[in-house]
Amino acid sequence: MSECAKFGEMLEAYALGALDAPERAALEAHLATGCSDCAKALAEGRWLVSQLAYLASEAAPSDTLKGRLLQTVRAEAQSAGTSTAPKSAIPFWMWAGVAALLVVTIYSGWNAQRLQRDIQDTNQKAAAILQQRRDLEAQLEAAKRAATIVTDPASVKIALASTDLQTPPLEAAWHSQLGIVLTGQKTPVPPGNRVLQLWLIPKAPGGKPVPSLTIRPDADGKFVLLVANPPELMAQTKALAITEEPEGGSPQPTTAPRWVGGIS
Amino acid sequence: MFLAALIPTAHREVSPDATLVNRLLQKDVSAFEQLYDRHSRPIYSLVLRILQQTGTSEEVVQDVFLHLWRNAAQYDVSRGPFVPWLFTLARNRALDTLRLKSERQRRREDQTKELPPIVSVPQYEQQFDEKRRAEKVRTLMASLRPQQKKAIELAYFEGMSHSEIAAALQEPLGTVKSWIRNGLMRLKEELQATT
Repeated sequence: MSECAKFGEMLEAYALGALDAPERAALEAHLATGCSDCAKALAEGRWLVSQLAYLASEAAPSDTLKGRLLQTVRAEAQSAGTSTAPKSAIPFWMWAGVAALLVVTIYSGWNAQRLQRDIQDTNQKAAAILQQRRDLEAQLEAAKRAATIVTDPASVKIALASTDLQTPPLEAAWHSQLGIVLTGQKTPVPPGNRVLQLWLIPKAPGGKPVPSLTIRPDADGKFVLLVANPPELMAQTKALAITEEPEGGSPQPTTAPRWVGGIS
Repeated sequence: MFLAALIPTAHREVSPDATLVNRLLQKDVSAFEQLYDRHSRPIYSLVLRILQQTGTSEEVVQDVFLHLWRNAAQYDVSRGPFVPWLFTLARNRALDTLRLKSERQRRREDQTKELPPIVSVPQYEQQFDEKRRAEKVRTLMASLRPQQKKAIELAYFEGMSHSEIAAALQEPLGTVKSWIRNGLMRLKEELQATT
């Protein structure tokens, strides 16, 4: 691999600011040699990385920000204009009046900014309370849904037996419209940040396990996992399985199933 | 090399942004207001995503636009398009605010010295308007594996290095490097393929 090809693979990561110090230093030394191919590729890499800004959710700054900015730039524009203008014969008493007016204006501006900050703080607190309420409502809705799934006679009950004799089994209920609820008691807590991940085993011959949600039991080994929108239909699924996976889950199982339950 | 040789830099049209920035050199407040109206929302969205606080985010956005007002001469149209330049400036300011006096801050400062960076738009991308481009970027990133997307977001929005991301995600360093590079290559290919 030529030097340019080797460094070429690092350019996007460099533009992203993700290179660790030794790689960054080596690449910068190469760029310092004046390699025009890498410089061009880096410029395009920077453009590519800048497009990631569009991943941010759309939001708008407050109208007061624009007002503050325009106030500042107008003042600076006027100042720049007057600095080159010829001196006028304005009497001293008029300058004193202007100075007094300036003091009042500065105080008013400071006071307005303070009030603005108070309003912003209050708005932020109100938004936080509103978000908290929405979260609680969402939790309540999820709890109601889970209770309905567990108690509805139309739900299919699935017992997930452990693959070792010491570990208690898990229970699941699957309602064709409302989803799956998986519950556990005295479940061993996975080590470190690892989690338990639910898999749907398809009926189709050779079908790969379909990944679903992850959960960590609490310190007592209890958990309730609601899957409101299962990734497969019950009619196409022959069993549920649970494996232990890294935090965030895996696209395919990386460990053997700890619990398995067939759907009758 | 990313179709760089095909970029017709000599005949590129002067963008409205370049014209407005040029008017800032004459301290034209109206040009500043137009630039603010055109770009304050995406810039604020980016900064808010990094800082997660509306008050601090507005302070950074104010800082970015005042920097533009006071240092318009730093932007040179021959060195690249305006919007990525402004995104880079805003991201660096937001990350500086996020992590002062850390290793990441030192890395940012290293890059800040390079501002304004040279940014080249590949030829295939020049036809897209901002809205379509944003949709394409979001669609592509949504199609990546969750851990891969997370790795790219940690780098871009939190300023983490490869090794910091590997530690945060508890994944091998080589895996994280591959995720980030392959993710960016897919984004590049996607933008190329749909031209």
